[in-house]
Amino acid sequence: MHSWFSSFLGFLDRDTRLSGIVRISFSIVLLLIFWEILTSTLVTNKLLLVPPYEVLEALLKELRNGRFWTNAASTFIAIGVSFPIAVFLGIGIGLLLASSRIVSLTAGPILTAMYSVPIVALAPLFIAWLGLGLASKILIVVLVAIFPVIVTTEAGLRAADKPLIEAAKSFNANQWQLFSTVTFPYALPFIVSGIRVAWARCLVGIVVAEFFGSFAGFGFAILSAGQTFDTATLLAYVIVLGIMGLLGSLFFTALEKRLAPWRQE
Amino acid sequence: METRISMEKILRVNSVNQIFTTPTKKSVEALRNISFEVSSGEFVSIVGASGSGKSTLLRIIDGLIKATSGEVMVGNRKVDGPGKDRAMVFQHDSLMPWRNVIQNIAYGLIILGMKKKEAEEASSYYLNLVELNGFENHFPHQLSGGMRQRVNVARALAVKPSILLMDEPFAALDSQTREIMQSELLSIWEKSKNTILLITHQIDEAVFLSDRVIIFSARPGQIREEIVIDLPRPRSIEIKRTQAFVNLVDRIWKLIEDEVRASLKESQL
Repeated sequence: MHSWFSSFLGFLDRDTRLSGIVRISFSIVLLLIFWEILTSTLVTNKLLLVPPYEVLEALLKELRNGRFWTNAASTFIAIGVSFPIAVFLGIGIGLLLASSRIVSLTAGPILTAMYSVPIVALAPLFIAWLGLGLASKILIVVLVAIFPVIVTTEAGLRAADKPLIEAAKSFNANQWQLFSTVTFPYALPFIVSGIRVAWARCLVGIVVAEFFGSFAGFGFAILSAGQTFDTATLLAYVIVLGIMGLLGSLFFTALEKRLAPWRQE
Repeated sequence: METRISMEKILRVNSVNQIFTTPTKKSVEALRNISFEVSSGEFVSIVGASGSGKSTLLRIIDGLIKATSGEVMVGNRKVDGPGKDRAMVFQHDSLMPWRNVIQNIAYGLIILGMKKKEAEEASSYYLNLVELNGFENHFPHQLSGGMRQRVNVARALAVKPSILLMDEPFAALDSQTREIMQSELLSIWEKSKNTILLITHQIDEAVFLSDRVIIFSARPGQIREEIVIDLPRPRSIEIKRTQAFVNLVDRIWKLIEDEVRASLKESQL
C-alpha cells in the first residue's frame, strides 16, 4: 500500500503530459468533492452556494437556450481584438524601453505607477469617454493586460547573456544581427511568460468591462445572474472563465518550454 | 616542422599598451608594450598568472577591445574591430542555446551574409572535422561540455579565419576531457593547417600544443620570455611523460611561480 502510494506520488511529480493531465484532473476532482461536502453540510442556503451538479445544469440550460453563445460571441470578439493589441503593443513598448536608457528611465516610473493602479477603477471614466460599445472595452482590457508584456519584454531583452553577445560581436554581427540572432531569441521565452500573465489579466479585464457597460458577454451574464440571485448561473460562467484561463495558461506554458527547452535542465 | 611553418607573418602585435579606467577613476595598466609575431601555420600559446592581461590582449587582437596605443596587424590589414580574418573560441559556453549543432556551426557564415542552406552545407565539413556527425540536430544543452567546445571550435573554423584565437578553451572542462580535447585540437590543427594563438593558464597544455610559448608576467601584463617548444610532431599524450616535456614545463613554471604565489596572496586579502 505504502509503496503503491509513493510510486503514485513519483508519477505525479514527473514532467510528462500524462502526469500533467492526471494532476489537473486530480485537483479538479478534489475541488468538486470539497464543494459537494460543503454544500451538503455547512452552506445549505442556495442563495450563497449551490452544489456542483446544479451549476452544471445551469450551464446546460444556458447552452440550450442560446444565451451562452450570445455572451460568448460578445466576449470573444472583445478579447479577440484587445488581447492581440495588448500583446503587440506591449512588445513594441518593451522594445522601445529596452532600446533606449533615457526612454526607459523617463517612462519607467509612470509605467510602474500605472501598473500598480487598479485600472478597473477607471472603467466608468473610459465608458464616459468612449461610450458603451466595443471601444471602451478594448481600452480597459488592453490597459489591464499590457503591463506584464511590457515588463517581461524589456527585462528579457536586457537579460541577454554577455558571452553570447560577445560571440556575436566577434563574428562581426551588426546591430540588427545582434538583435535578431541573440537578444530577441533570448528574450522570447520571457515575453511568452508575460503573455501568459496577460491572458489571465485580460479575462479579468473583460469581465469588469462588461460589468459596467454592455448587454451581452460573460461579465454581463455574471452581473445579471447576481442581481437575480441566480447563484448557479453565476458560478457556471465563472467556471467557464476559469477553464479559459487554465487552457490559456497551459498553452503558453507549453509554448515557453518549446521555445526554451534548455531552461528546463 | 620547418616546412609547415612558413616565413609569412600572419599576426603582428606592435607595442600594444592597454590602460583601463576603473569606475572610481583610477587608471590600471593592463598591458605594457606587447610586441610579438605569429607565422602562418604556427601554434603559439600565451601563458601567465591570472591578472596578466592575456585575455584582454586576445580581445584586442580579435577587435572586441580597442588598445590604448599600439597596433595589431593581421596579414597586411590593421585591426580595427572584429573581422572575418580572425575567429575566437571562447572559454565559456557561447553557443546559441536555441540553435542546434549545425546551425551553431553555421552562425558565423550566416552573419557574413551566406544563405542558411548554403551555410549549413558548408558547415557539415567542420561537423565532420570535430567528429560530431550524427549530432547535427542536437541542441547544446543535450551535449557534454567537451562536445560543446568542439562545436565552438567548428563554428570558429567555419569562417576560414587566417588565425584562430582561443581563450582558455578547455578551462571549464574536467581534466580527463581536457587531455582528450588537447589531442583532438592537435589533430584538427594538423588537418586544417590553421594558425592558432591560444591563451591558457595550464603550462602543460601550452607546452603540449605549441610551437612556441610566450610567457606573460602580471600587473601590468608584459612579455617575460618566449620559449620555442622543439618537441617532435605529431605529438601524443605519451609525450607528457618524457623528460624533455617535464623540463620545459618546469622551466616555464619557475618563470611564473612567484607571480602565481603573489596573486594567491592578493586574493586572500
